[in-house]
Amino acid sequence: MLEGLLAPPHTFVGEASQRHDLQGLPSTPRTPSLQPKKNTVLVSHGRPPWYAEDGQRTSDAFVIGVAGGSASGKTHVARQIVRKLGSIPTIIILSQDSFYKYHNEKELALAHANLLDFDHPDAIDMPLFASCLADLKAGKQSNIPVYSFAAHQRLDETKYLYGATIIIAEGIMALTDPALRALYDLKVFVQCDSDLMLARRIKRDVKERGRDVTGILDQYLRYVKPSYDNFVQPSSAHADIIVPGSNNDVAIDLISTHIQKQLKERSHNLRGKIAVPHRYISSPSGTSSPENILEEEVDLDIMRSTPQLAGIYTILRDRTTRRQDFIFFTDRLSTLLVEHALQYLPFVPKSVTTPIGVETLGKKLDTQFICGVSILRSGGALERGFRRVINDVPIGSLLIQSDSKSGEAMLLHVGLPFYIRHRHLAEQTYVFRRLLFPAQIGTAAAAFMAIRILLDHGVQEDRIIFVTFLVACQGGVSVLKRAFPGVKIVCGAVDNEMEEGWLEGYKGEGNPEGKGRHVWVMKPGMGQIGVKS
Amino acid sequence: MAAPSSNPALAPPQPALSVNSNPAHLDPLPPSVFTLPQTAQLEALYTIIRNKDTSRGDFLFYSDRIIRLLVEEGLNHLPVVARTVETPTGATYNGVGFEGKICGVSILRAGEAMEAGLREVCRSVRIGKILIQRDEDTTLPKLFYSKFPPDIASRYVLLLDPMLATGGSAMKAVEVLMEHGVPEERIIFINLIAAPEGLTTFCTRFPSLKVITGWIDQGLNEKAYIIPGLGDFGERRYCT
Repeated sequence: MLEGLLAPPHTFVGEASQRHDLQGLPSTPRTPSLQPKKNTVLVSHGRPPWYAEDGQRTSDAFVIGVAGGSASGKTHVARQIVRKLGSIPTIIILSQDSFYKYHNEKELALAHANLLDFDHPDAIDMPLFASCLADLKAGKQSNIPVYSFAAHQRLDETKYLYGATIIIAEGIMALTDPALRALYDLKVFVQCDSDLMLARRIKRDVKERGRDVTGILDQYLRYVKPSYDNFVQPSSAHADIIVPGSNNDVAIDLISTHIQKQLKERSHNLRGKIAVPHRYISSPSGTSSPENILEEEVDLDIMRSTPQLAGIYTILRDRTTRRQDFIFFTDRLSTLLVEHALQYLPFVPKSVTTPIGVETLGKKLDTQFICGVSILRSGGALERGFRRVINDVPIGSLLIQSDSKSGEAMLLHVGLPFYIRHRHLAEQTYVFRRLLFPAQIGTAAAAFMAIRILLDHGVQEDRIIFVTFLVACQGGVSVLKRAFPGVKIVCGAVDNEMEEGWLEGYKGEGNPEGKGRHVWVMKPGMGQIGVKS
Repeated sequence: MAAPSSNPALAPPQPALSVNSNPAHLDPLPPSVFTLPQTAQLEALYTIIRNKDTSRGDFLFYSDRIIRLLVEEGLNHLPVVARTVETPTGATYNGVGFEGKICGVSILRAGEAMEAGLREVCRSVRIGKILIQRDEDTTLPKLFYSKFPPDIASRYVLLLDPMLATGGSAMKAVEVLMEHGVPEERIIFINLIAAPEGLTTFCTRFPSLKVITGWIDQGLNEKAYIIPGLGDFGERRYCT
C-alpha cells in the first residue's frame, strides 16, 4: 500500500510526497475505519451481478478522472464522492502515484538528490496507466505497479485489483494524456487558487514534517509551479466539471447524483431471469420430467450411476443422517467426482521404462496450470476430495452469498490463485470450479457469477470444469449452459424440480424482523450442504 | 450417459460396469472380469506408477488413488436394497441402502498396501490376512498364515492383491477362503494390474468370482513378471 511507503521528510518531491498529508483534512473529521484507501477495491456490501442472462457484461465500470493542482484537494473530492455514493459497492480510487516510471541508476541518483522532476508528465508511465485503467474499466483484473517513495523506485511486486463498479483515477496529470481521457466517463478538474494551494502546502509541510519554508518554496518554484502552469492548469479545458477546491459540497452532491443516475440505468435484476427459465415457469408441481429435454439441450456430464453412488446419495439426502456420516460420504462422493472430472484435462503420450526394464507407452498430463476455485461457504465439502486427488495445486475461493433483500447473488470476496490473477497465465490455466454454495446448481446464480469472474480474468471458457454434487434440471442450469456453452459441468446427480420456498430468516443486518427469505429450493434436494458440514 | 440417480427405477442392483474398452491384451474378457473405465486419465496414473524413476512418495500417492477407485468399483458389486428417505426439504426420495456385511482380506505382503484404501472408503471394515509363499520343494503356492474374522462365512469378501501374474497365490487364497465357508460368488477379487494368462487361469477355475482389475497388461516374461508391469509392488511400496 502506498500509504505505508511514503517519503521521509528529506525526499520531498512534488505531488508524490504529499500523499499522506491529504489523508486527514481537518475540515472533514471522520473515523479512520471509514477512510477510503487508495488502490484498493472498496466494498460496502458485496457486488451485485454485472452481467446479463447471456453471460455478457452489461456495462463497463464507470470511470471518473479527477485532476487538479498539487494540494488542490483532489483526494478529498474523490473520497467525498465515495462517501456520498454510500452503499454503491466496489469502488477503486486509482492513484497516479503508482505509475511513476521505473528509474535507471542515473535517474535514481538524481531522485535521491531531489533533482528529478516528478511533476512533469514524462515522470509518469502514461501507457501503463492507461492500459491498467482500460483493463479495470472492461471488468478485467489488473496488476498495477507498486511505487516506493522511500526508494524512489517501482517495486518488483504488483498489486492485484479486480471487480470495481466505479473507478476514480486521480492525479495531477489525470487529464493531460489523451489515451487516459478517452477512458473517462466523467472528467473532473479541481480548481484552486495557486496561493491557496501553496499556503496549504507550506502549512502541512512545516507542521507535519518540520521542514523550513525556504526549502518548500525552492521546491515549489523549481518544479511544482511550472508543472502546474504548463501541464496541469491547461488540462482543465478537458474537464466536464470544474470543482472548487474548497467549499465544494454542492459540486460533489451534483457529481454523486449524476453517477447514481448513470448506475441506475445500468442496473437490472438478473436472478429473476435465471431462476425462472421461461420453459418451466408454469409447472410448479413439476411432475413432468424435463430430464430428456435437459440431456439433449444441456450437455451435462452426469456420473455413471452405480449402486454405491445411489447409496451415497440416499445417505446424503436423508434428513436423519448424522453429521459425521454426512461429512464422510460427501468426502467419498467428492473424490469420485473429482476423479471423474479429471478426464477433461489434456493428456499426451509418454514413454516410460518400468523397473523390470521394459519400455512402455503411456500418457501424461499436458498442462502445468491447474487450479481449483471453491465457491464458499461450504468450502470443505469438495475441497477434501480435490486435495486427495490433486494434492499440489493452488486453490482459491470466491465468497458469493445471496442478498437478504433482493435475493441477488452478491460477490463478497475474491481470493483467486496466482495463475488466475495474472492474465497471461490465466489464459492457459485449467480451472476446476467446485461449486460449493450450495454445492448444487439450483438457480445457478452463484455459479453464473463465478464463471463470469473467471472469464473476466482471461480463463478460457472450455478450460473451466464445473464440479458439483447436484443439479436441478428445472433450474438455471440451462440458462448457464446457454450463456457459457464451453464450460463443462460434471455432476453426480440431477434433481427433478425446483420449488419456491422460504428460507428461514435470521435477524440481522438488512433483515431486522428475521423474516424468511424467498428462495428456490431443489426437490428432493439434499438441504444446505454448508449447514450440514 | 447413465440415468440420473434420482430416478426411482434405479433401486435394484445393476451390473456396475461397462465392458472393458481395452481388450487388446485379453479378448474376449471373461464375463466375471470388470475393469475401470480405461480413460486417458487412468492411463496417466498407471504411467506414473510404472515409471522406474517415480519417487516413492509419488508411487504411494498415485497407487493409492488407483486403489481407491478399484475399491469403489468393487463395492458396486455388493447388493443394495430399496430405501426411501425424507430429505431436509421435506421431499421423499426413493434411494437405495447398502446391504450385507463385508470384510477385506489382503494377501500378504503387497495386498496389505490396499487395506488403507479400503478403510478410507469403508470405515471400520474388518480385515483378515493371508500369507502365501512359494514352497521351495514343490514350487507350488503354500499357505503359511491366515487370520479371518470369525463370522467370515456370512460376509462378502473383498480379496486384495495388487498384482495378478500367474494367479497361483490368488487361487490358493480363494481356496483357503472357501475352506472357511465363503461361497465363491461372495468373493470379489480386487487387483491393480493383471496378466492375461493368470486372469484366464483364475477365471476358468472360479467362473462366478468377480474380478475387478484396473489394467490388463501384455503378458508374462520368462520369470513370470508382468510385462510391462510396474516391478514388485511390495518392494516399491515398502522399499525393502
